[in-house]
Amino acid sequence: MSGPESSGPAIVVERMGKRFRLQRSGTRTIKSAMLDLMRNRGAGKNAFWALQDMNFVVNRGETLGIVGANGAGKSTLLSLLAGTKVPTTGSIRTTGTISSLLELGAGFHPDLTGRENVFLAGAIMGLSRRQMRERFDAIVDFAGMRDFIDQPVKHYSSGMYVRLGFSVAVEVDPDILLIDEVLAVGDENFQKKCLQKIDAFRRAGKTMLIISHDLSTIQTISDRILFLDQGRIEGIGDPREVIGRYRALARSRQTGGYEREWGTGEARIEGVTFEDESGRETDLFESGGTVRCRIRYRAERRIEEPVFGFGLSDANARLIFGSNMQIEGFRLPAIEGEGEVVLDLGGLPVAAGHYLFSFSLHSSDHRTNYHRLDHCFAITVTSDSRFEGVCRIPCAWSAPGPA
Amino acid sequence: MLGWVRDIANRRELVWILIERNLKIRYKSSFLGFFWSLLSPLFLIFIYSLFLGVLKFPIHLPTLVTGIIAWQFLAMCMGDSLYSIVGNANLVTKAAFPRMILPLSMVGANALNFLFSFVVLSVYLVFAGASFGGAGWLPLIMLTQAALCLGMAMIVGSANVFFRDTEHVMSVIMLAWFFLSPVIYEPEMIMEGFPRWVQVAFYLNPMSGILTAYRAALLTPPAVDGGLVAMSFGVAWAVFGAGLLVFRAAEPRFGDEL
Repeated sequence: MSGPESSGPAIVVERMGKRFRLQRSGTRTIKSAMLDLMRNRGAGKNAFWALQDMNFVVNRGETLGIVGANGAGKSTLLSLLAGTKVPTTGSIRTTGTISSLLELGAGFHPDLTGRENVFLAGAIMGLSRRQMRERFDAIVDFAGMRDFIDQPVKHYSSGMYVRLGFSVAVEVDPDILLIDEVLAVGDENFQKKCLQKIDAFRRAGKTMLIISHDLSTIQTISDRILFLDQGRIEGIGDPREVIGRYRALARSRQTGGYEREWGTGEARIEGVTFEDESGRETDLFESGGTVRCRIRYRAERRIEEPVFGFGLSDANARLIFGSNMQIEGFRLPAIEGEGEVVLDLGGLPVAAGHYLFSFSLHSSDHRTNYHRLDHCFAITVTSDSRFEGVCRIPCAWSAPGPA
Repeated sequence: MLGWVRDIANRRELVWILIERNLKIRYKSSFLGFFWSLLSPLFLIFIYSLFLGVLKFPIHLPTLVTGIIAWQFLAMCMGDSLYSIVGNANLVTKAAFPRMILPLSMVGANALNFLFSFVVLSVYLVFAGASFGGAGWLPLIMLTQAALCLGMAMIVGSANVFFRDTEHVMSVIMLAWFFLSPVIYEPEMIMEGFPRWVQVAFYLNPMSGILTAYRAALLTPPAVDGGLVAMSFGVAWAVFGAGLLVFRAAEPRFGDEL
């Protein structure tokens, strides 16, 4: 199956909206439907718009990343594109065959063998038995499951399930591939294989739509990013820029209105990212774990001996700890243009919860505040240990015997 | 409408694979597997032949067995139809394909099963000395019954997506339908001494004419009520048409409800 002959975009979405009826708890019965009728509750009251005013075009060969908070409508958008849900208003036009990794291996029947399920999945995606026979070996090899392929899939581990599902979806060689959060499943080895396959797809000129919460990965693999917020398009375009806006919005939602920003603007803190012990970018940390803050700055003119400072506050903006380069005895000779400074925290001795970081950039005599970002960066800390208060002080108990 | 037929014709591989899957699942982990579709009608004939004398049913054994085996095709379809959509929720929410393929392949699997039973029935009828006088009508009769089954399956399968108590309504309806159909009796019997509305309902019941037609084609009945058969066939195809309309209206919302 080669790509479709006609030229033009792969996906065109116009004035598209999707409305859901809200389900009350439990399944619907004839009784509840009658009661609704008698109470004259039409569709209007119990409906909500999951997606509204969707207008966008995905070009052939493009990789579009989709980001947004939980409930923003990302998965609904992919099911509409896959054709498993029907838009309430507007239209969606797609060109070429579509394969979706919405729920990997979800179409598998537990009592059938891997082999039977592979053929079933292929038929569902529109391939003939002959076409599937040609691809069968490649599918089994990619999943690495030669030994288990004639076992009923109910005996498979969840990892095997996902691997086989991914293999089928990519080997059917669709023109458009829809991927929902699969970068987060499987072991590291398989994830690497998935990313390689996604890269191969890109090079083969396939169109891909990818949902992920892994912002750094999605930023590198996407040509453009679509940012959904509460069922509307909040931004679409350059990955770096749109993900920056998504991060900013997510942050302002979390900072609870305590964030403040001021300064002369001669030099600015352009952005701060946080990394955990393994060097992975994240906003989620374990109590006691290390935090590395990468502070990107931009100075409009040369500034001698600038001082960067930071503060960590609890969710109510009460300062827990604050320090700066001067206090810690680090001297930065001068800054000019763009650059980065790194702040390492040797361990977060705080209880589980939400915390706010503040960063500042000021002159060495503290007279001029070039830029201050108070309570602008939210992080979340998890903990296995239960203790009272905000901060953990190392403590040990003992019971010396009677003297 | 034509587009629809074409869509399904294009996906006939999927229809076959689903029919195959439905049959495989039915006999999953059973020792005798497909032999059951031959064995169960055999046992059925054997058991009725033992007890017919005791029960003193005023009906011949070949007539009774023909009725029961034909009825079972409908009964199996109706039981499976409840889950033809709901039971495939993971397919419906995962991939786009003509949803009609689900009830179609379910009826297809049951039709194949019915054909196996029918072979067993025919062998028995040969020994029982049946005439097979109208065997040429069998394809039309079977097709009509399949259309009725598919029409009902589309309605019941869709209804069960939206109302999960369809199951309970169904079991009541199937009991009434069984007694309103000439399965364990012959049409003449119900025409005597029953209220007028029961007779009208019997006449409109598509299974009345279908069962009568099977018996007329295989056995040598005294006289066949041609009007009844024509009426039933008309109603059966009307049910098929109604099923198509209902299914078409319900289909776009399956993805939201499941």
